[in-house]
Amino acid sequence: MRFNEKELISLSRQPSEKAAELGMRGPKKGDVLKKRLVKLVVNFLFYFRTDEEEPIGALLLEQCRVEREDSLTFSIIFLDEAERKYQFECDSEEQCGEWIDSIIKASYEFMRKNLIFYRTEIHKLTGKDPLEQYGISDETRFQVSNGLQLKARETSSL
Amino acid sequence: MKLHRKILVHYLSCPSPVDKEGYLFKKKERTGAFHRRWFVLKGNLLFYQERPADRHIGGVIVLEGCAVRTEDSDRDFSLVFEGLRTYRDEWVKCLLTASHCYLSLLLRDLGLQYEGEPEGDAVKLGSAKHLQSCGASAQLRRTSDLVLTPPASSDPRTLTHTPALPQATPPGTGAVRPLPWKSPKLWARRNAHVTPINGPAPLPRVWPAVHFNPLQKFEKLHEYYGREVERERAESRREEQKGGESREKRGGESREKERGAGRREDQRGDKSI
Repeated sequence: MRFNEKELISLSRQPSEKAAELGMRGPKKGDVLKKRLVKLVVNFLFYFRTDEEEPIGALLLEQCRVEREDSLTFSIIFLDEAERKYQFECDSEEQCGEWIDSIIKASYEFMRKNLIFYRTEIHKLTGKDPLEQYGISDETRFQVSNGLQLKARETSSL
Repeated sequence: MKLHRKILVHYLSCPSPVDKEGYLFKKKERTGAFHRRWFVLKGNLLFYQERPADRHIGGVIVLEGCAVRTEDSDRDFSLVFEGLRTYRDEWVKCLLTASHCYLSLLLRDLGLQYEGEPEGDAVKLGSAKHLQSCGASAQLRRTSDLVLTPPASSDPRTLTHTPALPQATPPGTGAVRPLPWKSPKLWARRNAHVTPINGPAPLPRVWPAVHFNPLQKFEKLHEYYGREVERERAESRREEQKGGESREKRGGESREKERGAGRREDQRGDKSI
């Protein structure tokens, strides 16, 4: 499967609010904790060898679970498989919590759900669809019915 | 660089919503030949494979920092894609708004509205009126270079650089003021593949970027699009008045046939399938 590597590498070099040296352990049994520069850009988690320009790899942060392992460690599980569990060790509890939070919020699907929530709520409160002003009301990706279960289901023009 | 493919493939096959899918002709860079591929847009990722049912994924294109450019031909867009005009327009609009950055800004904006930020509301009021005049459907005709790039870095130069954006056109005038800025069409063509990966990232000024910090004002991003769209519409309105009626008819017909089908119809007959 091909992918636009150059663009992805370029993306990995964008400034990011979440970039730090963490201990990273791969999913395989023999994998040991290694010091890596971990960087969160859009919904990708890039990881570099310290001081290297090109990342070793990129993890797409969709359809994954982020869990706290202990006070300093969090893990990301992909495909619901233990074989795809990546662990990250932070320097502090606070840092650990922040990373978990940031990774969850970086997922495109998470953001989409939030957007649809806001859209629905604002519509309820104001009677207006906030996306209308941007001319994107009909965009498929923002539709309420898009495989979502809203907590308070009301009939609405959305 | 290793891209964990299984994670991407899993994302593609999971029940999260598909934003757009259909057949497009993709040009092979090396040979220049066009191959028909089934494209699926999900989030900020554009997957392609030979057929919808295929298990094997041919490839994926990450749409961050991608330039969506429509060529002189009325069916080409982006770097290598080809599709019929109306079909193309839908794809272009979809691709333009596919990035994580865009969603992030929009989300931030709605979040502020929801929280009832007084500042947010005031700004919105001004821009909403303007954007209404830009119209809800971005009908991109002829050529237009709408470029979406990643947010400008925190480089101090970006912050002090005077935004080159003009004042918002007052709603309802319909007139297209001469803009004191350079239309993206006139920028030197940039090919995303020419990104200098060995050197530092280009200065924000060098990128055909929108010169502001998108993290601050989502409305400005839309203003920017809205202006381009308005100019394009004004131009094509003029063009159509000159007698593009037959073109309009054909466009309407193909729109009917294409809806949801994703089939490619060659009306012009200059490219054989």
